[in-house]
Order: sequence, then C-alpha cells, then structure tokens
Amino acid sequence: MKPTYQIISPTLGELVWNAEPTDELLGYQLAYLTHIQNQYSSDLVEVRQGFTRLSLVWKTLLNQQEFARTLRDIQLDPIKLPDTVWEVPVCYDPVFGHDLAPLAESKNLSLAEVVHLHTAPSYRIHFFGFLPGFFYLNGLSSKLLAPRKSTPSIAVPPGSVAIGGSQTGVYPMQSPGGWHIIGRSPLTFFDPKQPIPVWAKPGDQIQFLPISVTQFDNWKEQLPKSVQK
Amino acid sequence: MSQVQGKAVLLRCPPGSSLQDEGRMLGTQFGIPSSGAMDQFSYRWANHLLQNQNNALALEMAQPGLKIQFEQACKISLAGARVVVKVNQETLTNPTIISIAAADILEVGGFQSGSRLYLCIQGGFQVDQFLGSGSDFESVTFPSKRSTNDCLSYFSFPQSLPIGAKPKWGTTWFESAEIKAYPGADWSLLSAEQQHQIQTRTFHLSKFSNRMGIQLEELIPNQLEDLPTNPVFPGTVQLTPGGRIIVLMRDAGVTGGYPRILHLSEEGQSQLAQKKVGDPIRFQLMESIAAG
Repeated sequence: MKPTYQIISPTLGELVWNAEPTDELLGYQLAYLTHIQNQYSSDLVEVRQGFTRLSLVWKTLLNQQEFARTLRDIQLDPIKLPDTVWEVPVCYDPVFGHDLAPLAESKNLSLAEVVHLHTAPSYRIHFFGFLPGFFYLNGLSSKLLAPRKSTPSIAVPPGSVAIGGSQTGVYPMQSPGGWHIIGRSPLTFFDPKQPIPVWAKPGDQIQFLPISVTQFDNWKEQLPKSVQK
Repeated sequence: MSQVQGKAVLLRCPPGSSLQDEGRMLGTQFGIPSSGAMDQFSYRWANHLLQNQNNALALEMAQPGLKIQFEQACKISLAGARVVVKVNQETLTNPTIISIAAADILEVGGFQSGSRLYLCIQGGFQVDQFLGSGSDFESVTFPSKRSTNDCLSYFSFPQSLPIGAKPKWGTTWFESAEIKAYPGADWSLLSAEQQHQIQTRTFHLSKFSNRMGIQLEELIPNQLEDLPTNPVFPGTVQLTPGGRIIVLMRDAGVTGGYPRILHLSEEGQSQLAQKKVGDPIRFQLMESIAAG
C-alpha cells in the first residue's frame, strides 16, 4: 500500500491511498505519519489525517519538492495498531436517543436490535475532525447505515451518540448536526483545560457499553476505562 | 526593554470581533480548527510595522464601531479594511502606526473598503495560550469572542520604538476580482464542463459568509457523491451535492467529505477575506506545481 504524492499548492500536498479505509490502511497511514514527523519536522507546519489521505503543510515549496523526490525511495511497513480499547458508556433510552425509534423502524429492527448492533463491534479511531474532539470511527454494521437527515438539528447536546451515513460518532459539544441521535454518553470527550484535550488517539478502539437512565444520572467519572485486548 | 502591564477597555465592541494570530496548528490533530486572522496578509503587515513577533495577537474586526480606551501608553498599528480612525475625536490622516498616550480613546468609523480590520499592539495582546495560540474559538478558549466592556491586556513599553516614515495604507491588492487558485485535491473528478464553468464564470459572495466559510451565490450543476472524509484547510474550495461552492476559511473544521475542487493561493485567501457580500470574484486557475 504505497501512497502517491499529490502537490496541491506551493506549501500543501497529500499522500494518496486509493483504497477503502481499513485497519491495514490506517496502519500504513500511521507509519508514514511517524516517519514524516521524525524525518521532516523542521520543514513542516502541520499534518492532517483523513480516511484515505495524509495532508502535509510545508514551510516552503523546496521542502515539499525535496520530500516528493525522496518519497519514491521510501518503503514502509504498517505499524501494529494499539491494543487499547476505551469503554464508553451510552444510555440508549429514547429520552436521549431521539432518533432511535424512527431509525429502528426504517430498518425493520427493534430498539434492542439496534442497540445490540451498535454495541457489538469495537470501532477503530482513524482521526479527529468536524468538531474539536470528534473522533471518526470505522466499523459500523452495514445494517445500521442511514443517510444523514435532510433537515439537520439546530443543537445536538454534548455526548450525543449518532449515526450518519456509514459513520458513527459522539458529539463532544453542542453543535448543529445532521446525524441520527441514538443515545448519550455521560463522559467528557473534549476538555480544553487539559494540555492534551482528548483522551484517545488514532488507532485506539472504542467499545460502547449500554447503561440505564439511572446509571447515566449517577455517572461520576468523566473519563472512560481502558482495557488492553 | 522594560515593560509595565497595560490594559485597554472595549468601550464599544462591534459584533464578530476576536483576538487572532497565525493560527493554532498544534490543535488540528485533535479536530480543533486552526483559526487565526482571516486576512493573514494584513495581519502580518500590521505586526511587521511594530516589529512584533510573528504570532503576536491582534484584534480582528469585521464591522465598524470600535471604541477602545488604552489606560497606558503604547504603539498600535492598523491594517486591512480602509476605515476612518479618530483618536480623542480627532480624525487621523494616515492611521497605520499610531502613538497612543495614557487614557487615549480610539474610534473606528465605517469601512470604506474591505471587510476586516486588524489592530495590532506593540508586543501583542496578552492571553493564556492554548496549544501554541491565543486565537479565540468557541468551546476552546474562554472567552471565545470579544464584547463591549471586556478588557484586553498588553505590555506598555516606556522606551518605545520610534515611528519613522509612515507606510501608506493600500487596499488595491484586494479590490481585484481575480482570485488565484490551484486545482484542488479532487479537481480531476470534475467534468470538463464543470471545470470550464469554474474557470470562466463570475461568482458572487452570498450572505452565508463568516469565519468558517464563504458560500458563493451561483451553483455549478453537480452529480458527484460525497467522498471519504479527508483533510480540508483554510482556502479549500468545496462543491456540495447541491452544486454550491463553499470556500473554507480559518474557523472551518479540519476534515470534510465534499469534493475539494480548488485551493486558494495564500494571497487569494486574504483577498477573499476582504470581500463583501455581493462582491464579484473569478477564479484564476494556476498551473499545477511539478514535483521539482
């Protein structure tokens, strides 16, 4: 999975993988990311990651051209993804999951089946985007795919767990949003008072655990437990 | 240089004012928009006039009406939109670098040309930095914008730099409708007809324009599906499934799923930041850059 490099502007370019986002592709992306940060940090302004691209902002065009030339000689193995799984409690009660019932109905599933399908897999974090602390997850069951709502909600509450297209995720803060809200987590997903404002990193996994309304109301911890699998 | 703590009171602060610098590049890995001055060109120029460090915080304004009182003496500079500036009710003829005495009141009148004004101060405005930047952004910094009666901190330098020849206030650079842009990451997905329209039509800024992005009025018929979510930047031009063109600006999210059809040059980003609703623009496509 050797990427190509596309120069976009004098100081912006991206590594391109024309493949479906998978654990394997993420392993390659993180290998290139680590290599680039180790070898070129003094030439770089910034790196941004997406599902199939790694975008690089260079200080100068010469820095970028130098990298583009040397890339041909680079052959990296994918990194082994971390074993860390973060357990994220979610209350799927309709009091929080306003769109759970209509979503279940559109899929000919019971509420319990939707909750089961959503909590069964562990999801891989690929990168953060859209909102501060919003992680993009891979691994949603194909039975839960749902086109984004035609009319977005004006104010999705923080902690809302949602499905949009083939994605699932958690809104770290109040925001307008077009995804279907199926539950809410009592955890804090973005804390600007911490020097590193998020607790997970790309490559880690998320496991959603169903909790009751009473458990939600009495939940004290702001951070999830992590287990190694 | 010895320095004492200074304070400025925003006696009247127009809506949409915020403190901005070069941007919070250390935060984008956590999904935090880079933020920073919309018109980096004018922001850097105003800082340069004061021999400030590159990342010194400036007050960005998008509307007239500022009334600010400085409690201690300082040197300030202005750049960006052309405005009428008064100090203690007296109109200044060439308000680029201004020597402020203790208790002076500065007022900004109507924008005669341009949309964003930068007020820099010697040494920069002082706030607690977060991830290497002091730029205001909602849910990330507190406060996330500036309001009437707020105070701004700065250092007052008693032995201040001398004001030499005053540079002229130029605005012609942003008045041209031609905006230089590079083919975007997904340019090749467009049909020849779409590429032709984007390069030849005149577009106009819609009222849906803010620090996150600027939507254009005219539509480009578009059948392209959304793509896997990938990085976007200030200056990325997106084409939505409805055919709407959105130019992402400094407070845009760091990733997006719409095709990224163009990428504005740095000069083009600053130029666009100075355009008003209804202003015409044309994209002047630059040649792709060779790998060297």
